[in-house]
Amino acid sequence: MSGHSTWPEWVYVGVVVALLIWVGAEAWNVERLIEHVPEDAQVIKVTGQQWFWTFEHTDGTKEIGELHLQKGKPYKFEITSKDVIHSFNIPDYVVLQDAVPGRINTVWFVPKDTGEFPIQCREYCGLIHYNMRGTLYVEDTA
Amino acid sequence: MKKIVGLSCILTILLVIPTMQYVLAQDAPGEYLDRRVEIWNLFFRMMTVAFVIGAVVSGTLIWLVWRFRESNPKAKPTKYEEAGEW
Amino acid sequence: MVLEIQKPRPIWQIMFSTHHTDVGLLYLITSLAGLFMGGALALTIRLELFLPGSQIIADSMTFNRIFTVHGTTLIFLFILPFASAIGNYLIPIMVRYKDMAYPKLNAIAFWMIPPGFALVWLGFADFGWTAYAPYSVISAPGPAADMWIFGLKILGVSSILGAINFIVTILKCKHPDLPLSKIPLLAWAYLTSSLIMIVAMPTFAAALLMLLTDRLGVSGFFNPARGGDPIAYQHLFWFTFHPEVYVLVIPAIGFMYEIIPRFSRKPIFSHGSGVAAFILLSIVSFASWAHHMYASGMSFTEKTVFMVGTLAAVPASAMHVFNFLATMWGGRIRFATPMMWSVGGIALFFAAGAGGVVNTAMPLDFITHDSYWVVGHFHLFVMGTIAFGSFGFLYYIFPYVTGRMYSEKWGNVHFITSFIGAVMVFFTQHVLGLYGMPRRIFDYPPFPEWVAMNQFASIGAMLLGIGAAIFLVNMIYSAAKGKEANMNDPWGIGGKYYYPYQQKNPHH
Repeated sequence: MSGHSTWPEWVYVGVVVALLIWVGAEAWNVERLIEHVPEDAQVIKVTGQQWFWTFEHTDGTKEIGELHLQKGKPYKFEITSKDVIHSFNIPDYVVLQDAVPGRINTVWFVPKDTGEFPIQCREYCGLIHYNMRGTLYVEDTA
Repeated sequence: MKKIVGLSCILTILLVIPTMQYVLAQDAPGEYLDRRVEIWNLFFRMMTVAFVIGAVVSGTLIWLVWRFRESNPKAKPTKYEEAGEW
Repeated sequence: MVLEIQKPRPIWQIMFSTHHTDVGLLYLITSLAGLFMGGALALTIRLELFLPGSQIIADSMTFNRIFTVHGTTLIFLFILPFASAIGNYLIPIMVRYKDMAYPKLNAIAFWMIPPGFALVWLGFADFGWTAYAPYSVISAPGPAADMWIFGLKILGVSSILGAINFIVTILKCKHPDLPLSKIPLLAWAYLTSSLIMIVAMPTFAAALLMLLTDRLGVSGFFNPARGGDPIAYQHLFWFTFHPEVYVLVIPAIGFMYEIIPRFSRKPIFSHGSGVAAFILLSIVSFASWAHHMYASGMSFTEKTVFMVGTLAAVPASAMHVFNFLATMWGGRIRFATPMMWSVGGIALFFAAGAGGVVNTAMPLDFITHDSYWVVGHFHLFVMGTIAFGSFGFLYYIFPYVTGRMYSEKWGNVHFITSFIGAVMVFFTQHVLGLYGMPRRIFDYPPFPEWVAMNQFASIGAMLLGIGAAIFLVNMIYSAAKGKEANMNDPWGIGGKYYYPYQQKNPHH
């Protein structure tokens, strides 16, 4: 049909496909690892609403705009929203999951460093989306 | 030879090490996986691949643009030009 | 020639015409208006983001409206009408027919665009071009939101009508001696993108109607309190708009299929591969929509399915890149303005695709989702590939439309400033995203890295703006006073400038 040698193109397509299979396999593997929630993860309920975050610990303590956690312990966030879609994001720990009204999304992590880390909203939610921020405080276990 | 060594280094980093990690790693109690580390590791491995391929593709493109520009002293008419049809 | 400024035709003759070259010209002018108006909004955004705090935009609501109208305008009022413009000019010629299959419908499809344009701009909604529920239902102020919904409804119908016209013209009106396999790749690009359009667009039409009835309180499709699901909107939206982004890019690749072989003085390396790649891409494009929704709470299996669907579309795009490189190999290339834009466009197309492959790896989306990485990535496609391909083709078609030559020097200056500007803005935005900056934000905390990168990007944007200004002057001046073009071979490269300018507009 083309009047020229087609094998270089087939080799090229083969290489591209092999590469993409590698990408897919690696991604699948890492996702599998990070989605496995440890049994002893403490649940923190996260609620997003226009335009602030509130948190509730298992013992009932509530925090607004700030979250105090302990270093080295696993935590599972159960995230929802009271109004529009927001997205709970702690960029330094690569924690990100949408806060959707009517549903609870989960993500878990272990804060391995102490310090203060920004929390931000990662889904456009209106007027103060740009400033829907909070702070994560990670403290040494007492 | 250098290319083979270079390629083997890259392949080791990209294939062998993660595979070994997959096979050998287990979570000891009290030791949890750090999602930052896993995700950024994946990111940097993919960036390595992307930049290697990027270097090949853009290098090829730059070479093509240089070698086949009409002002190149080595430039000769394509075989289609004589017929005037392309 | 349709646009002879020195011997102007009565404007109403063009406006009421149904001839494909006139409708093409109307689409062209509208799309360029969209380009400049949407582009002005972009420059405003980049000026505002030069520093933290408020610069030239007073408040965040104004900012939110600006980025919404920017995105909506450039997609629906530049890229799509521009593709329709070129399609209108060239499809009948490429299939050796006298006009489009339905000339009156063609004109109607065009004339739906100005009202859509007006509704979007007079409304100035604030919810982003994606209009996610529930924000767009319960929180976005009307009448802006409702005007946007109506405007897009009209624009969507216009696109569907145009697509039908293209498909019927290509499949049914082509010359009997011309087999489908021999029509130019640009015609194949229009055929496949139009087919994607008519399959994908109706879903969005449904979504728009559902948004409207939800806003009116009549329904609760996206309201959990009434048994609805906000995520359903995202599925409906992205089921249309993921394939739609291929509708946007495929014509630009088609433009490059015209320009690269011509200026390399060689036929395309493999016509068959180009056809196969277009067909493959149009089918596989429907398999990846929910990669936009990885953070919405999908299960591991769902995410895997869409990752595989996304990756499956990459080989087809890779085939186009191979085709272009293999065509240039062994050629004798004239780097006239259209060729420079096409080659630059291919380079940025590759960069955009590479970033996309990284993004589609599910865990990496936790870093990049709704950050400036995504902004940089898609702009490399819409600006780096589509706008670059479009500019290149505009320069290419300029002699055909006006009978005159543009200034080659200023065309090249436009290219160089735009290429440098695009790299400065969009590559930087990838890094900005890695540093965690969210998108759609009016202001940001004064992290030094964020400030520095925003400033670098804004300077790049100014370069893009300068290029656009040069372009505008070049186009207007040359259309009126440019040197008359040799219509057989405007660049003196040999071969044929063969989409025959001989196709006469009956009014001439």
